Order: sequence, then structure tokens, then C-alpha cells
Amino acid sequence: MTPIPTLTTPRLTLRAPEARDVPPFTAFYASDRARFVGGPLDAEGAWRMLAMEIGHWQIRGYGRWMVEERESGATAGMVGLFCPEGWPEPEIGWDLFEGFEGRGYATEAGRAAREYAYDVLGWDTAVSLVKPANTASAAVCRRLGATLDGTFAHQRHGEMQVWRHPAPEEVSDGGMEAYA
Amino acid sequence: MTAIPTIETRRLILSAPEPGDYPKFKATFTSYRARFMGGPLNDYEAWMLYAAEIGHWQIRGFGMWMIHDRETGATCGMAGGWQPAKWPEREIAWVIWPEVAGRGIALEATHAARAHFYEDKGWSGAVSYLDPRNYDSIRLAERLGCRRDPEAPSVDGTDVVYRHPAPETLRNSQIADAIELELQSHAGPIFGRREEAPA
Repeated sequence: MTPIPTLTTPRLTLRAPEARDVPPFTAFYASDRARFVGGPLDAEGAWRMLAMEIGHWQIRGYGRWMVEERESGATAGMVGLFCPEGWPEPEIGWDLFEGFEGRGYATEAGRAAREYAYDVLGWDTAVSLVKPANTASAAVCRRLGATLDGTFAHQRHGEMQVWRHPAPEEVSDGGMEAYA
Repeated sequence: MTAIPTIETRRLILSAPEPGDYPKFKATFTSYRARFMGGPLNDYEAWMLYAAEIGHWQIRGFGMWMIHDRETGATCGMAGGWQPAKWPEREIAWVIWPEVAGRGIALEATHAARAHFYEDKGWSGAVSYLDPRNYDSIRLAERLGCRRDPEAPSVDGTDVVYRHPAPETLRNSQIADAIELELQSHAGPIFGRREEAPA
């Protein structure tokens, strides 16, 4: 099995999803917060989704991390790199659990995931897919310096906005990042 | 990460599902063949399920193996343990690609998987949740020595529960002998090859 790396940011630890994440993941997918990411789902659907997130790492060699608030140890959400079959191209995605929104965690973890994609995996571009009504997620895209680059219609998720992130060279010179 | 063990049988190798094994899985799960397993699925759902098959190992510590033909390396299907959230008990499950059905592959793979769970993992029993219209699977469950358990809770009321014989019941039983004999007949045609049959 591909080992899943751990990343750290000033406030967060991004670590491999595990069995102990079933309860918070199930709670998230049962809630209205999951309405833009394929939810709400029942416990069975959420369990399979978490299993899928873990298997994604093995199939693609990258995936999404559980985001932990380092100070409290609480699981704040799931952020990372995602590309199931039928996705237009690999994306950077984020889900924050109830009570962890409004603190800049999606931006902080999303930036770490993007750095990993660019610096470790060698991606030369990245997108984020956002449901049109998900204004909070679009705001994260803007904070990360991404710009709207068309739309994509998915067989299950329907129409999604494609936000294109600044290229590696635009990020590494600090230009876009400085505004985040 | 949980290391996924490899199991070898006479004709088969059961190993971790790999990205390269996906095409046949997809072909089966997007086809009518998957009608008793929640399908047919679309491409996206099939991929998500395949990834979940792999992740299942990490959450539960057991899961479904990819079945390979020992000689050719070709995949034949999947078999192993399965217990997502809603499953009342640990299930022994299987799916065989349609083009290799009828060769006793599911029997050989599930028999080996069950032996692994019983002897190496300490399972005291297992069930299989079957669609009552899935005669091939019901027949396989019966060849494995399962009995229908009408008292046991099913997954969602549309499936029937077949209970596997416990390890101590299976050991040195007539069922074990029958399985052995059937697998021998598939591996070496002791019942006479077709070309040797009298004209």
C-alpha cells in the first residue's frame, strides 16, 4: 500500500484517513453541509465514501487528508487532491466539518495540498470544482488565487464551476500567495 | 496501512486489488451481471466502489481480494470479506467476471478466503447476504456448506442470510471433503476430459 504522507501547516495537521474518522465523516455527510459535495448521505453511503477516499490514494498515488486542528486534536474536515473516474482533471478539494468554518482552515489546508501537488507530485496546473451555489467554497478559491475557468457537467454532481489555480511558478514567487 | 496478504490456491492467486485490475471490475459492475450487487453502476459509481473495496481493508483490517489465474495472471473476479456500515455481520462475498464463470473459481477463492479468516484471523463464523433471485450465488453458498438463517438480520430486508459453517463444524466435515473433491475435479479432470470421452 502507498504510504500516505503527513503535512503540517501553522495550525493544522493533514494526515491519512483512518477507521476512527468514520463517526465525524458520517456526521458531516448526514448534515446539510454536505449538500454541495454529493450529500446528504446515510451512514452506509458515508462509510463507503470514506473507504473510497482511502482507496483513492492507492489508485492515484494521491488523495485527500483528514485535517486536524493541532491545538485541540479535533478533526476539522477533509482536504486534498481528488480525481475519480470522469473528473475533468485532478482537483484540490475541501470539506470542513460543522463548527470549523470561518477560520481560514480550508484556505490553509488547500494551500498545503496545492504545494504538495506542485512540489512533490510535479503537477503543472490544478483546478477546484465548485457547485455554483457554494459561495463559501468559491471564496476559498479566490483566496487561493484561483480564477473561474469555465464549467463542467458531471453525471452525478451536475454542473460545477471550474476554478483554475495559479501555476506553480506563479505560486512559488509569492505573487498570488501574498494576497491570500 | 494494513498490508493485504496474498493467498495461493491450486489454480488462483488472491492479492490486493491494484489500479491495473480495474478495467474488468468496471466492465462487470457496469453490466447486467451486477444486478444482484447494487448495479449496474455508471462509470463514476464503479470507480468509487473499486476505490472503496481497497479502502475497506484499511478501515476493517480485512476486505476483498482480486482473484488472478495463477498461470496467466489474468483477473477472474473478487472474493473475500465485506462489511460496510450497514452490514450486521461480517460477510464472505464474491463476484466472478462473466467470461470465467462455471469453472469453480468462486468456490476455490471463497473457500481459501474463509480458511484464512477462520484459521489466521480467528473468525468464529461468517454470513453471506444474497439476493434470493441470485441462484448461482445461492448454489455456491450451499456448496460452501452454508444454511439459510431466517433468524439473522439481513442488510435491508431484500436479501437473504446464508450462514457459513463455524470453523469447528467445517473442520474434517463432509462439506470440506466435498469442496476438496470438487476443486480437484476442476484442477485435474479426474472425471474424464471431454476429448477422451467415448464417441
